[in-house]
Amino acid sequence: MLKHLELLLLVAALPFGTAMAQTASPGDPGEAAAAVTADSLAAIPTVEPEVAAPPEVGPATVLTIQDFPNDAGDHLILSFCESPNPECVLGYLVMRRTPGAPDSLGGQWAAVENVPAGDPTEIVDGYDPDFLVVPGTQYEYRVDVLTIDGRQIEGSAVAADFTPRGELFHTGKLKVLAGCIVFIGLIFYYFKKAQMGHELYLRPIPGIDAIDEAIGRATEMGKPILYVPGLSSIEDVATIASLTILSRVARKVAEYQTPLRVPNRDPIVYTVAEETVKQAYMEAGRPDSYENNSVYFVTDSQFAYVAAVNGQMMREKPATNFYLGMFWAESLLLAETGSLSGAIQIAGTDAITQLPFFITTCDYTLIGEELYAASAYLGREPKQVGAVKGQDACKGIVMAFVTIGIVLSIVDIFTGGAADPSKSLLLKLQGLVDVTSLE
Amino acid sequence: MTNRWEKMLNIDRRWLYLLIAIVVIVPFFIRMGLPVVPTQEVRSVYDLVDSLGPDDAIFIGWDFDPGTEAENMPMGVAVLRHAFARHVPVFITAVSPLGQGLAEQGVASVFDTRVPGNFVYVPWAEWESVREAGYVGRDSLESAWEAAGNPLPEGARGWVFEGVDYAHLGYLPYFSLVILGMGTSIANQYPTDAYGNNLHDMPMLQAHKNLREVDLAVTLAGSSACMWWILYGTSRVGLPVAFGVTAVMATDYFPYIQSGQVVGMMGGLRGAAEYEVLETEGGYTETTGKAYRGMDVQSLAHILIILLVILGNIAYFAGGFHKKTALKSRR
Amino acid sequence: MKRNVPLMIALLGGLLMIIQYFIPHQASQDVFNYYTEWAPLVGAFALILGVGSITRVHVHKIRARAPNWPYSYAVLLPLYLMPVFGLMLPVIMGGGTDGPGFFDFMYSRVQIPIQATMFSMLAFYIASAAFRAFRAKSALATVLLVTAIVVMLAQVPIGDLLGRWLPDTGLWILRFPNLAAKRAIELGVGFGMLATCLKIIFGVERGWLGGAGE
Repeated sequence: MLKHLELLLLVAALPFGTAMAQTASPGDPGEAAAAVTADSLAAIPTVEPEVAAPPEVGPATVLTIQDFPNDAGDHLILSFCESPNPECVLGYLVMRRTPGAPDSLGGQWAAVENVPAGDPTEIVDGYDPDFLVVPGTQYEYRVDVLTIDGRQIEGSAVAADFTPRGELFHTGKLKVLAGCIVFIGLIFYYFKKAQMGHELYLRPIPGIDAIDEAIGRATEMGKPILYVPGLSSIEDVATIASLTILSRVARKVAEYQTPLRVPNRDPIVYTVAEETVKQAYMEAGRPDSYENNSVYFVTDSQFAYVAAVNGQMMREKPATNFYLGMFWAESLLLAETGSLSGAIQIAGTDAITQLPFFITTCDYTLIGEELYAASAYLGREPKQVGAVKGQDACKGIVMAFVTIGIVLSIVDIFTGGAADPSKSLLLKLQGLVDVTSLE
Repeated sequence: MTNRWEKMLNIDRRWLYLLIAIVVIVPFFIRMGLPVVPTQEVRSVYDLVDSLGPDDAIFIGWDFDPGTEAENMPMGVAVLRHAFARHVPVFITAVSPLGQGLAEQGVASVFDTRVPGNFVYVPWAEWESVREAGYVGRDSLESAWEAAGNPLPEGARGWVFEGVDYAHLGYLPYFSLVILGMGTSIANQYPTDAYGNNLHDMPMLQAHKNLREVDLAVTLAGSSACMWWILYGTSRVGLPVAFGVTAVMATDYFPYIQSGQVVGMMGGLRGAAEYEVLETEGGYTETTGKAYRGMDVQSLAHILIILLVILGNIAYFAGGFHKKTALKSRR
Repeated sequence: MKRNVPLMIALLGGLLMIIQYFIPHQASQDVFNYYTEWAPLVGAFALILGVGSITRVHVHKIRARAPNWPYSYAVLLPLYLMPVFGLMLPVIMGGGTDGPGFFDFMYSRVQIPIQATMFSMLAFYIASAAFRAFRAKSALATVLLVTAIVVMLAQVPIGDLLGRWLPDTGLWILRFPNLAAKRAIELGVGFGMLATCLKIIFGVERGWLGGAGE
């Protein structure tokens, strides 16, 4: 891109540099500056006193102006035909103006793009934040030729015969839409099925079954329960799943009159967690047992948070620690300290890299999606159970595609498709369902 | 006999901590200089930076906190040196206030005159006179600057002009949204740099107005912040992204390398050491840096942990604990 | 009312963002831009609540002379003094106008080393956890154990010394079996997220409402 800038500066500096070269003399106060300028312009061919007639250079012409597909109406595609004398061309300046508009609103010609000679002659206008394309505005373009001897040859102006408009549907996202409809449809189908009273089987998850047992242990020992709702923000699905489990845990804790500690790293999660616990105490009929300081914010700094929670574990020695939500490098620091303090520990996270740490140091670990499914297990509400079955069905579809992919890639080995992409059945299937190029 | 094994399994953890402390400290005094062979993942990042020049630009995201400094900082310093040596303009960002401070430390180590092969930093305000005389390109700037009576100090590798070779954009909150915004305009997100200079005036901002005009973003991350560059950079504007992540996180991102969404990856201290080796082989540095030195420590620590695992298993089976449900005590 | 209004907002907001994804039109982009401008503001105000919470907890501890109450001063003093050093006294506490101030000193000499120390403790904890928990209890656990040893050796130069096959095997494990397992779990997590988001949008999951949802 810098070469584009240099092109522009070159055009701007040429008259200045020439003027400086003509006026500056040795000993002149402006000598240093002039020397620098002259040095900077060393690459520019010097103007000979006896100038030969410059070679004739034909103009560039705008070929087409098209609306950019699937955008907000803020891009245009322009293609142009190069000058018939490419050997004399340094580059092209794509100029744009809005006919009839005042100068402040783009009524003057402005260079919106520099195209060095040899680069593609189809450009997308609208990416430059200084020259945005405004939807609904009619533009006029011309392409000027910059010659190697420093001239700028104007092209003829061509007005777009339309105004750029935004589309109401991104056609490139059709496959995503189809996938969404299938998956959302499946989840709703199972919602409905569960609501109609169909018995849906959920395999037992020991970690979830152990939650009540762990709360009971703390009650017997008369020690507090520590609940860490992860270190992520409320947008994280793991945090939301954790807060749902917190609600159940808090209700049990309220019934048993066991102290609860919920340290938070995110201020929004803190406010939601506080409300969740308060409400759980109300529902358990023990609003007076709720301690104001049982849910609190610590800090948003990752390791300062760990230091605070670890300190609390070593001082108060909670009987049970829950680590449910999103965790990063702090997972082992928390869980190992908890293990050191002798607590029963139940962890659950969708952070795959942290799972080994939890598995080695905690008594029970909910792996990945088991954390999301926990609310269905704990409440056994039909819709919640239906959602779990729905996502299983979605996985079934993906597994079917993966199996087909494996079979086709084996077939490709035998039919020669592995070596020749045009014969590959696998690539044909990928072309049909590929969504990786999308946002 | 069983008692001895049980005693061994229930050993006070502090003995293990002491062993780790010894193997971590000793290699700092006794250098082993073990060979480091670069992997394809790191070589891809190096090759891409090596193919760039003054017309291109890269972002280095100092997306980590002091906790992971030991792993992430050497990666940043290595890439920074490489980019400066090739005169590739570098934008520096941070996802946290602490990251901004760490970025300043990292950059300062490259400019440190006590280290041979350092780069000499010319702040934006200092080369104002040359700029006002008419800036055209980096090479002419360098000769103009030296002609104005600023010889390159002995032992230094080159000049780094703020605004041309380097811009420290600093920290902004909600960085995922900042990356999204930089897809349209960098200067709109950061009207000034970390030192209060107007970014609109800087030549590198005029040449690279948004992420579409940037050739690579290297994110040095100790958290999932690295994914923001993929979500809002690669997916939306096609920005090539390379990862420099902690060793623990590295295994997470192999799927993104295979799918081509990530150019390459430096995983942990080993990744940084590999980059340093490549740089030394490429003639950009005289000697390898901190990461390479850290490899000795890491080698011994890994060996110790493997030995502990083996010992633990020997005690577990020899003591017959595999037949019991649990050990007698939990410590 | 306390329950229905947030549920309606979640329903409308969720549907709007789903639809917005498929519409590239300027109006749709404006909706998205509004959202991205609002989100940081909400977060900034919530931080005030957070600071209020930590202050309340520790003031309570000091007043009640709860166990270890003097530590609460160690929390509250830096919490309120650091902004003062950073914003109001950047120079006075430092080495004049040119030298780094007290804030920089606290940052580089206290905060950074403390945080680095916390993370370094991982080395000790990993050693201890590996010794206690990594057992070849079954055939699968043995495979896991052997794989871990190969990858650990492959990650350090000593592995290269033992033979080129070792790092190659380690990389192969990372590039293929590891990748396959990651993809499988990530797919499950992805669908779990999709289902949870739908449950939130359609009011089945109400944990995020605090207590109001129940």
